[in-house]
Amino acid sequence: MLKISNLHASVEDKTILQGLNLEVKPGEVHAIMGPNGAGKSTLGYVLSGRDGYQVEQGEVIFKDKDLFDMDIEERASNGLFLAFQYPVEIPGVSNMEFMKESVNATREQRGDAPLSATEFLKKAKEACKQVELPLDFLKRGVNEGFSGGEKKRNEIMQMILLAPSLCILDESDSGLDIDALQVVANGVNSQRSSERSFIIITHYQRLLDFIKPDFVHILAKGKIVKSGDASLALQVEKEGYAFLGKEFEEVDA
Amino acid sequence: MSQWLNNVIDDAKGVDDFLAPMRQQSLSKLQTEGWPHARSEEWRFTPISSLKERMSSASQTALSYDVPQIDGLDSIDIVFVDGLLQTDINQLSLPNGLSVCSIHDAINNASNSVREQISALFGHVKPSRHIFGLVNDALCEQGVYIALDDNCHVDTPLRIVNIATKDCDAHTRVLVNIGNHSGLKVIEHGVGSSASFTTAFAEYVIGKEAKLEHYRFAFFTAAAKQVGGSHFSLQESANLNSTFVSYGSDLSRIDVDIIHAGQHAKAKMNAIYLLAEGEIFDMHSTIEHAVPNGTTQENARGIIGDRARAVFSGRIHIHRDAQKTLAELNNRNLLLSRRAIINTKPELEIYADDVQCAHGATVAEIEEQALYYLMSRGIKRSKALVMLNFGFIQELVNAINNEPIKQWLLPMLNERFASMEVK
Repeated sequence: MLKISNLHASVEDKTILQGLNLEVKPGEVHAIMGPNGAGKSTLGYVLSGRDGYQVEQGEVIFKDKDLFDMDIEERASNGLFLAFQYPVEIPGVSNMEFMKESVNATREQRGDAPLSATEFLKKAKEACKQVELPLDFLKRGVNEGFSGGEKKRNEIMQMILLAPSLCILDESDSGLDIDALQVVANGVNSQRSSERSFIIITHYQRLLDFIKPDFVHILAKGKIVKSGDASLALQVEKEGYAFLGKEFEEVDA
Repeated sequence: MSQWLNNVIDDAKGVDDFLAPMRQQSLSKLQTEGWPHARSEEWRFTPISSLKERMSSASQTALSYDVPQIDGLDSIDIVFVDGLLQTDINQLSLPNGLSVCSIHDAINNASNSVREQISALFGHVKPSRHIFGLVNDALCEQGVYIALDDNCHVDTPLRIVNIATKDCDAHTRVLVNIGNHSGLKVIEHGVGSSASFTTAFAEYVIGKEAKLEHYRFAFFTAAAKQVGGSHFSLQESANLNSTFVSYGSDLSRIDVDIIHAGQHAKAKMNAIYLLAEGEIFDMHSTIEHAVPNGTTQENARGIIGDRARAVFSGRIHIHRDAQKTLAELNNRNLLLSRRAIINTKPELEIYADDVQCAHGATVAEIEEQALYYLMSRGIKRSKALVMLNFGFIQELVNAINNEPIKQWLLPMLNERFASMEVK
């Protein structure tokens, strides 16, 4: 599904990722944890192709293709999905219109005919219910005036509609109360399958109580310094990042 | 004092007709008030200095002109070119109950019986708010008086076209009186790009339980200057549905007044403005709720590109007795460049205590973040740009319930967009 080899990337001339390696196979759920400033969000942005994130070294192979040969929209329509930590508000573009465009762009890429308005509406309503958002959220401007939790649920709704092959969740748990967290987790769990992979970026172990990862990686100073199973997340929760050495303890302060 | 205004005042002194009592009032106001002060609230953000020393020249007969068409729309057209009526009103085939009379004819034909009706409407809905409205009061000798009898529904829209082709001053007036329980559709359609100056004011009285579907298209661009207004008085249970679509030019200004004169009237007004290059567009709207139980919904949205400037002033005035009023006004703007300017001023004046009122104004910029967000969901860059820009406006165009007008506007506005660069 995804193979990241020796990835170095920088933002505004500051090197953030410094030789990151990660392989994600179909159906696997990988959690990436790490102290603030470790490069967790940068990884998500680099993979999705955000402007200003410069790849300096290394390669990423996504579904047997060089990811960096693809534009942002190409990556998305090929099945890469990033759930944003801070979803953007777009007044004037309705959630419905936005999602219909994106679903049909993905379908076009796969060679499928676009969904009619009625077909799409049916799917959208189901997804909306699944993340427990009132249906009028489909008519509202994209994320316009949504609360933090509603924005995160809207991201999961998009994920459900787009049915991507690789979902990267960037701190989808931040700012959520326990009920919203459960909704987000249920949404993710409902999408788990043997063909779909997840990378869950999180600062806290909390989300992993609800979404059980196959692997947990600790990202620090731009590379993965430790990998393990779900128990590694519990260790981090208990001890903090101190076991990585004194320097990391301070970063997390 | 302005040379242009001096000339206007001199000209106005020579106008003597059946409208003289009204004209006189406006003329004396012009004389006392003179050229607007640089900081006058009406013109604070809208430069009018280019008019101050303008060499005025009266309306002239145009040699050639094209009447703008709305494909698929069957309308009764009344055409003014450079301020002169071109249509032979007597040759119009009008539905039963509808009558149209040229103001110029009424002035020149002393036996004209509609003089009284014209006098009763002229200047009675339009407030004497600013200099150019007063100039129109004092000088305009061209226009039409339109009357619809009680209990008549006219489906074919009346289209009043104002075409500016020359470097002259043109003043026109439209007076519309809709009888009780009747329905009418009126389109005010202005175009021009020459260095003209047009003042075009329209006054509407919508009778009891009567309905007006109204459009005003102000497609004056480049050097064409225009100042105009559409002013509505709603009688009991009257219904107004109005859409304004405007470009900008060296100076383009529209005043709108919606006056709830009778209870239970409903007014809906949408306004769209799309400004490119160094264009200026200014809209001042005032909603007067003088009586209880009125409803007003106003939505104004603009996109301002390059070095253009938009001014929006939206006032809701709810009088002491106007209990149970429902009034909403929303103004949203999108700036496409760092040099684009919007001056938006929401104003609420509420003297009644049992009302529901909402008022808001927002200004946004095209954000790289929003673009990235859309693209990260597979939407192509070019499509994402159009969505970000056009979605905003499309909503109001889609609200138009006249299919030919909607289908005519959409591609036209889309094209204008395409020419407006995001910087």
